[in-house]
Amino acid sequence: MNTFSKYFYTICVYIFLYLPIAVVIVFSFNNASHSLVWQGFTVKWYTALFHDNVLLRVAGHSFLLGILAATSATAIGTLAAVSLFRYRFFGKKILNALIFILILSPEIVMAISLLLLYSFLNIPLGFWTLLLAHITLCIPFVTVTVYARATTLDTDIFEAAMDLGATDFTIFRKIIVPLLAPAITSGWLLSFTLSLDDVIISYFVTGPTFDILPLKIYSMVRLGIKPEVNALCTLLLAFTLLVVMISYQSIYKKKD
Amino acid sequence: MKIYYQISIAVLLALLSTLTRADKNILNIYSWGNYLPSEIIAQFTKETSIKINLSEYDNNETMYAKLKASEHTGYDLVIPSSYYVDRMSKQGMLQPLDKNKLTNLHNINPMLLNKEFDPKNNYSIPYLWGTTGIIINTKYINKITSWQNFWDSQYEDQLMMLNDMRDVFGSALMTLGYSINDTNPEHIKAAYLKLKQLLPNVKIFNIDTVPNIYIDEDAIIGMAWSGDCKMAQDENQQLQYIYPKEGFTIWIDSFAILKTATNLENAYKFINFMLRPEIAKQASLIIGHSPTNQTAIKLMPLKLQLNPVFNPDAKTMQRGKIQLDIPEKERHIYEKYWEKLKIGG
Amino acid sequence: MKKQSSSFKIFSLSTVWLWLCVFALIPIILTLTTSFLTPDSNSIVKLIPTISNYLELFNPGYLRILLQSLYLATSCTLVCLFIGYPFAFIIARSQHQHKSLLLLLVIIPFWTSSLIRTYAIMAILKAKGILNTVLLAAGIIHDPLQILYSNTAILIGCVYDLLPFMILPLYANIEKLNQEYLEAARDLGANWFTTFFKIVIPLTIPGIIAGSVLVFLPAMTMFYVPVLLGGAKNLLIGNLIEHQFLTANNWPLGTAISVVITLLMGIFIIIYWRHSKEDDRESLT
Repeated sequence: MNTFSKYFYTICVYIFLYLPIAVVIVFSFNNASHSLVWQGFTVKWYTALFHDNVLLRVAGHSFLLGILAATSATAIGTLAAVSLFRYRFFGKKILNALIFILILSPEIVMAISLLLLYSFLNIPLGFWTLLLAHITLCIPFVTVTVYARATTLDTDIFEAAMDLGATDFTIFRKIIVPLLAPAITSGWLLSFTLSLDDVIISYFVTGPTFDILPLKIYSMVRLGIKPEVNALCTLLLAFTLLVVMISYQSIYKKKD
Repeated sequence: MKIYYQISIAVLLALLSTLTRADKNILNIYSWGNYLPSEIIAQFTKETSIKINLSEYDNNETMYAKLKASEHTGYDLVIPSSYYVDRMSKQGMLQPLDKNKLTNLHNINPMLLNKEFDPKNNYSIPYLWGTTGIIINTKYINKITSWQNFWDSQYEDQLMMLNDMRDVFGSALMTLGYSINDTNPEHIKAAYLKLKQLLPNVKIFNIDTVPNIYIDEDAIIGMAWSGDCKMAQDENQQLQYIYPKEGFTIWIDSFAILKTATNLENAYKFINFMLRPEIAKQASLIIGHSPTNQTAIKLMPLKLQLNPVFNPDAKTMQRGKIQLDIPEKERHIYEKYWEKLKIGG
Repeated sequence: MKKQSSSFKIFSLSTVWLWLCVFALIPIILTLTTSFLTPDSNSIVKLIPTISNYLELFNPGYLRILLQSLYLATSCTLVCLFIGYPFAFIIARSQHQHKSLLLLLVIIPFWTSSLIRTYAIMAILKAKGILNTVLLAAGIIHDPLQILYSNTAILIGCVYDLLPFMILPLYANIEKLNQEYLEAARDLGANWFTTFFKIVIPLTIPGIIAGSVLVFLPAMTMFYVPVLLGGAKNLLIGNLIEHQFLTANNWPLGTAISVVITLLMGIFIIIYWRHSKEDDRESLT
């Protein structure tokens, strides 16, 4: 494969991924409340957005939830993947099955069974019930991703390290994690994505005091999604790209 | 690098601070998406110092499922449609209302009170209402007058039907001369067979962002709610709303207080606040659906008062029927047939 | 002599077990139990055990739904694999300094609400949408393409939603592919084609499986993509289950369908895993 076709292919895929995003950005400037056809340029949705602090607050909630859920799920999921890979223990097959069932479970089934669980335990619905549900949702995705990479590790390294007197924890910290770093990062990214956008599970297990963006958007569909949402999505996208670029620059500079 | 960490922590703390702290004077409302404009909520909080926590749903079914699954959802006020008020009150999920606390109740259109789904309005106070009728794009279609027209072969793959079991069965039942609340299994089966014949004409089943579909001509004929039609007409003047001659559904969305509510007084204050003509008018204008508050209508622009879609006259209203809940056994029959239709026959 | 249980091992296992027992095992048991109970209008379920929910599933209509869902999920997985594998391969093997940034750029669009993105796809595919406007203006077609509200639109939507779930595991796996194997193959005279199919693919099988699983399983139970992009005319399994929980208030039937699908998928995945493991062992000897 020559270099040109490589570039061409990659750019085509990026176009496919970003085309709907471009549409969202363009339509945030569309002068129409309901139509999905271009009717003229306006910035009124952005001004409306700044007066609507509900949408902004709710977006903040979503980001906070996403970061916390992704980090916790990555931690637990990585432990699970490493345990499945390294250790023999009682109930290993059951653990495998649990992970698998979690991925396959239709969201609405998980949602209602979690709600029943919370109801049974008398836990009031709110931020914590939502966080716990999101972490549970994300763990299997992390586990599968990390495990796939773990299976390619050479176990001789562990033997050598143990012979040299390293504890399990040291092996985990200094050998396993660095070797699995790309998979762990992928797992975090997947979890963050899942959490940011989860609607069904969030709908059933959240309470009156903590609202998140996907729910707000989803509930708008009946009466028509306010174009301000397009403006919000555009701004969030710009903000995320900015943060990613800045942090990437700083990490990259450190490598030098 | 250190600065990067500091910034991240600062951002995280800022986000954490958005977590609402438990307030003493609150009201937890569970409502249709976009049904309570933020300006109105802000005004209520300003006047009463009661903080409102708003959670939203996009259809009655998901609202009901969540409330059924747990008694600890924490919501005080909810806004069900007529036949859900019927079902929820019969199942003991709603609080009987003390109407002495609702001093603004006299503003409601008496034509929309004391209906069969809640005689004497013991459990619900109407908020917004509308009708379900036919919408056509006059650029392509000449005037039609009845539900039966949907079955014409010239409309193959053209129709948009609402993705709601009761609304769709209602239209078929009406063409057969039956009630939209019919519980006779033979009648329901006849409606199902009729709908099976309609399937080739159906292009879309949809219930979200309906105005959009008609404005952009994704469908040029179909069902729609009156408020959606009016919103669509604002952006596409060629759309027309028709009250079918066989009859049509009247839907009413009402305030109701849950049996498990903890902020009762605040709930009453809120309902009474929403019954004020000025507030009802403002809400209706922002949301787009017709208000049940007749004093509010008199405050609206004349053009709207005379608009037959937004404010139908009494004579038209006589042909309309309100949806009641169907008893469990017969409801299963409807559900099984609806499932069959959605599988493709 | 290896220590059998280090403190770290105990910590790992207990954390994972505790979490999954409370938040996964118990809800799953609740689900399983519900599938054997009788539905009741007032209290959701009556504590009367029955297998009638499972018997109800032997219904030709439901079989059709299952087949349609399998077809969609398989198509979606294959398309994602064909698009995603070369992409992951190119990025993972590139010497580009910023390749992790490139990967990140794949994920960022998905931090926008999927509902908004689906509406954007609708705006692109509809009769008066962007695709048709461009094609008509360029004279490539004379009548607008009716892609929206068809099965093609559903497939496009599913692929779009699930592509990163294929790319990321593949990337994580391909990235550590040992360059020496490839060089050795080339030294021994293998052309690019042979190298790719006899060495690269077998070595990246774990990644392929991980990606396929993460795409296939959610694709089986997708439900609002078929509704929005397909016109809600044909129920898929995800819609069927949702219908039971919400419209029909028949939670036992909903959970029964869910249990059966899980079992079916489980059998399928185990067969696939066993089969690919054998291939793996053969190709490496």
